[in-house]
Amino acid sequence: MTPLEWLAVVLAAGGVFFGFVTAVGLVRLPDVYTRSHAASKSDTLGSVLSLAAVAIALQSGIATIKALLLLLFLFLTSPTAAHAVTRSAEDQGIEPWTRDSEGDE
Amino acid sequence: MTHPTAHRLLVPVGDSVTIRETVAYVVRRASEALEDGQAVELHFVSISVMGATSEESGEDHERLRELIDAWLTEDFGEEIPADVTVETAIVGQDQYLFSPDDYANVLLEYASNHDLDRVVMDPEYNPEGTIPLLAPIESRLRASDLDVEQASVEREARQPVLARAASLPKYLAIFAVSFGFYLSIGSLVLFDLVTGAITAGVVSIFLTPVAFRRNPSFTRALRQLVRLPLYAFYLLWEIAKANVAMAYVILHPSLPIDPKMVELRAALWGDVPITTLANSITLTPGTLTVTVTQRTFLVHSLTGSSRDDLSAGGLERAVRFVFYGRSGARIPSPRERDDYTDEVTPTDPDAAAEPETEVQAGG
Repeated sequence: MTPLEWLAVVLAAGGVFFGFVTAVGLVRLPDVYTRSHAASKSDTLGSVLSLAAVAIALQSGIATIKALLLLLFLFLTSPTAAHAVTRSAEDQGIEPWTRDSEGDE
Repeated sequence: MTHPTAHRLLVPVGDSVTIRETVAYVVRRASEALEDGQAVELHFVSISVMGATSEESGEDHERLRELIDAWLTEDFGEEIPADVTVETAIVGQDQYLFSPDDYANVLLEYASNHDLDRVVMDPEYNPEGTIPLLAPIESRLRASDLDVEQASVEREARQPVLARAASLPKYLAIFAVSFGFYLSIGSLVLFDLVTGAITAGVVSIFLTPVAFRRNPSFTRALRQLVRLPLYAFYLLWEIAKANVAMAYVILHPSLPIDPKMVELRAALWGDVPITTLANSITLTPGTLTVTVTQRTFLVHSLTGSSRDDLSAGGLERAVRFVFYGRSGARIPSPRERDDYTDEVTPTDPDAAAEPETEVQAGG
């Protein structure tokens, strides 16, 4: 394998790792707000790394540009979605989970 | 209490440039009705703006109510006649109002509850602030039993809020961007060039009136385009850090999180800079933009260190650098400006749900 292929493999592995972190975060974190943290961040970097791996693996100009455009749109849509979810949660009056409220239960 | 044929008017009110003239118009209408010997009931109703906290809209409502009282007294001369009943109300607080129909329904509900028969619309009425909703709200109201009239007010040439005058630079800018995008996902063959030009032409015709507030300046756009990659790298670095921190927190056996809502007033103006900052906040360490009202950000933060980063204002400074240049980056941090509030009290304690407790589940 060439160094570039190795790089693609490493990036893809990183993408898988952060995808895994997202899944774990969704299960472990306590409420809708904190779970949105996991979904909006780890997921974005997971996709970024995977797409970077794709861009390198394909090694053709146009496909790389397309992958970069996909990245751009992910950067716009992923936080927007997280924002929409948490905003409607806030509108519904859902109180964020805190360390203190954990002690009360 | 009032005569059966009394003039009962519903006047939706909100921040608008012609609110003063609308009140004057309502007073003229009321005076005419009084000459008929009819009693008059005036209902000034403001709709709670989506995204504002109930406290905020309460304050706005209070301010507006005082103004309307003062204007009514002024226009009726000395004091409001005994035959005139004035009511002010605020509606729609606990509802998620989204479409014009939602707004109209809230008004209709109020009208039927109070047995009102006529709506006077402020011609610049716009409950949401940015998207013009007057026409759809009005047509929805007209579909009901209510009489709807627009207050006749004098004002400067009426400008549609969404669609603005298109100009050649705007057309060219939209055309260039959409053509470039089309070609970047296609290829440079003749077929793509022709179809791309047609597509970009159609896009520019339809989107130019809504896309810009002011004429695009080539030099300004160029400067922002040069600064944008710098920002992108800064943001990517921050995102990478965010994810390592998140991964540590999420995978740590004891889940060391300390979530809190904080408030941040950004020193940014305009839709694009605000949107950029809001999205960047969401993408970086442990912070998540929940709501934005004007330039106040409600941010949910996951850990104490993420709050420190936020109040230090690194991201805000970077966004200012992109849009306002290097001098824009040299400003005090939100903490120094006193624009940062730790621990925001929940907006509506009554509606608060029970916090979930399955913290360690699946750990």
